[in-house]
Amino acid sequence: MTSAAALAFAAATSPVVNAAPKKLKDIRIAAVVKGLDNPFFIGIKEGIEETALKYGVYANVQAAPGLNDDIGQANKLDSLAGQNYDCYIVIPISSNNLSQAVGKITKKGKTVINIDSPIDAASLKAAGGKVTSFAGTDNFAAGKAGGAHMVKAIGTGKKIALIAGLAGNVTSNARINGFKEGAAGATFVGPENADWDTTKALDKANAMLLANPDIAGFFAANDQMAQGIAKAVKAAGKKIPVYGVDGIADALAEVKAGNITATISQYPYVMGQMGVQACIIAAQGGKVPASTITPYYIIDSTNIDKALTNKSTRGFFPNQLPPGEYKNPYASKIKK
Amino acid sequence: MIAKKNKKTASAEAGAVSKFALLREGFKDPFFWSKWLVVVAFLLVVLIFGALSPEAFLTTYNLNNILVASAIPAIIVVGQTFTVATAGIDLSVSSIMTFGAVCFGLAFTNGWPLYQCIIFSTLAGMLCGVMNGLIIAKRQINDFIVTLGMLSVAAGGALVLSDGKPRQIIDESLANIAINEFVHIPYLMFIAFGIVAIAHFVLFHTRFGTHLLAVGGDPDAARAMGISIVKIKVVVYSISGSLAGFAAVLTISRIGAAEPAANTSILLNSVAAVVLGGVSLFGGRATIFGPFVATLLLQALSNGLTILGVASYYQYIAVGVVVIVSASLVRTSNK
Repeated sequence: MTSAAALAFAAATSPVVNAAPKKLKDIRIAAVVKGLDNPFFIGIKEGIEETALKYGVYANVQAAPGLNDDIGQANKLDSLAGQNYDCYIVIPISSNNLSQAVGKITKKGKTVINIDSPIDAASLKAAGGKVTSFAGTDNFAAGKAGGAHMVKAIGTGKKIALIAGLAGNVTSNARINGFKEGAAGATFVGPENADWDTTKALDKANAMLLANPDIAGFFAANDQMAQGIAKAVKAAGKKIPVYGVDGIADALAEVKAGNITATISQYPYVMGQMGVQACIIAAQGGKVPASTITPYYIIDSTNIDKALTNKSTRGFFPNQLPPGEYKNPYASKIKK
Repeated sequence: MIAKKNKKTASAEAGAVSKFALLREGFKDPFFWSKWLVVVAFLLVVLIFGALSPEAFLTTYNLNNILVASAIPAIIVVGQTFTVATAGIDLSVSSIMTFGAVCFGLAFTNGWPLYQCIIFSTLAGMLCGVMNGLIIAKRQINDFIVTLGMLSVAAGGALVLSDGKPRQIIDESLANIAINEFVHIPYLMFIAFGIVAIAHFVLFHTRFGTHLLAVGGDPDAARAMGISIVKIKVVVYSISGSLAGFAAVLTISRIGAAEPAANTSILLNSVAAVVLGGVSLFGGRATIFGPFVATLLLQALSNGLTILGVASYYQYIAVGVVVIVSASLVRTSNK
C-alpha cells in the first residue's frame, strides 16, 4: 500500500521529459549566456544561433545584463522559464547563481543543458534542479597543456611570470593552477591579478619585468592580458615567450605577427553548437550523453595559418572549429 | 489665465467646487506629477507587454517572477532614497552588499546559527554606513567622494576576508525564503514591502523624518533650527548600509553562495529607481512609494523585453531610454 502510494507519488512528481518526441521544426530552445561584453560569449551565441539555423529549430539567446550581474542573470532565466520552450541552455556567472532558476525549470519537466562553466552539483541538488548534459572546457587541462608547452620551449628551471584575471575567479584560478602543474620545475613570479584587462596587464608586466629582469616567459589567463604583456615585453626589448588563453581574433593576429607566442585556443562556437545538439536529442526523446569536454588547441606559429582560415561571421573568434579532429558525442544521435 | 478663472469659480461656488479646484490644483502641482508619473509609466509597461504577449507576460507565474526580481533591489532603493533625500548619494551599496555577504559566509562556515549570521551581515553593512556618515558629516566631504571611496574599500574588504573565493551556503530554510510564496506573492516581496512600509512611516510620521527632509532641503536653515546634521547623516547612511547588509542575506538565499565579486548593476538600478520615483536629487523632497514602483517598473521592463525575445543589445538601450525619458519628464514637471 505504502509502496504503491510512493510509486504513484514518484510518477506524479518525476518530471515527464518530452512525452512525445518533437519534430525539428517544433523544437524551441532558450539560452541564457553570460554578458555579451566579452567576445567569448558572442562566440557561444553565434554557435547556438547558427547551429539552430542549420537544424531548423528555434533559438532565443539572452545574456546577463552585465558580466558580474549574477542575480540579473537568474531573473532572465526565470523570465524565460514560464514560456513554452523545450530546452534551456545555460552558462552560470557563478557556480551557484542559476541553481534555483534551474530547479524551477526541472519542476516543469523541461530539459536544461549546461555549457562552458559548470553549475555546482550540491547547490543544484538542494534546489531540486537537474542538468541533462554538460559541455565545457577543462580550464585546468588547458592551462596544464600550455605550461608543458612553454617549458618544452624554454627549458626547465626558468622563471615564469603569471598574470591572472579577477581575484577569486574560478576560471582564472583553474588556468593558472593548471599552468603551474604543467610547468612543474620552473619558478614562478606572481600570479598578479590584472582583472582580464589589457592595460592593467601591461602595467603589471612592466612592474614584474623591472623587479625580475630574468623572467624567461609570461603566461596570462586570457588573451586580452597577453596582448598587454606582449607590449610590455616589446618595450623592454626582450624576446621571451608570451602565452594567452582563449584564441580571440586579435590574439591570433598577434600570433601571426609574432608578438604573442601562443594562445591556448578554446572553441566557444563548438560549445554553443553542442548545447543546441544536446537540446535536440532530448526533445526527440533520445538518450543525451551526460557530459563532454570541449576541445582546446595550442595555436602557435606552426598551425596559425590553418587556424586563421576558419572565418566566423562576426570575426571575434575566427577559428570557429578546431584545426584538427575533436570529439562530438552529440551530432550522431540527432534524428533527421 | 485658466487658473484665474478657476479661482473665480471656486470662490463663487465655494464648498462643493473647492474639492474639484483642489484636484485641479493638485494636477498643476509639479510634485503631484513627479509622484504619479512612475505609476502611469509602470501601468503602461504592464499594459504594453500584456497586450503583446498575454500568454507569457500576464501569468501569475511570471508576475511572481517580477516580484521576486524586484524584492532585493526594492530594499536597496529604500536606503538610497534616504540618502538622496538628504541631498546625498550612496555609491557604496553594491560593495557593502558584497561585504555583508562575505561576512555572512564567514559566520555561516564557522557554524553560527542562521539568525546570528543575518544579524552579523546587517551589522557589517551598518558599520560601513556609519563610517560613510561620520566622514561625510564630520569632515564635510562630498557624499559622492566618500561613498565612492567606500565602494572600493568595502569591495577590497570583501576580497580580503573571503580570500577571493566564493563560499557556498546551502541551507534549506534560507533558500525557502527565496523559493516559497503565499497567495502567489513571494516571501521576499513580503519582506521588501514590510521594509518599504516602515520606511514610509519613518520618513513621514516621525520627527526624525521631518528633520531628515529639512536637512536635505536647506541644511543651513536646519542647522539654525538646532537639528544635528551629523546625527542625521550618520543615521541615514547607516540605514542604507544596514539595508544593503540585510539585502545581502536575501541575495544569498537566492543564489546559494556568498560571492566576493561586486554586482554594480544593483547600484545603477537603485539610483535610476530613486530618480524615476520622483525623489529630488537636490534633497528635501522624497517619497518611498515612487522609487518602489520604479523598481517594479525597471524589473517588469527587463522581464518583458526578455519574454518578447528582444536581443540583449537592444534591451540596454530600451532600459536607458526609459530612464532618461521618465527622468526628463519628472524634471520638466518639477519646474
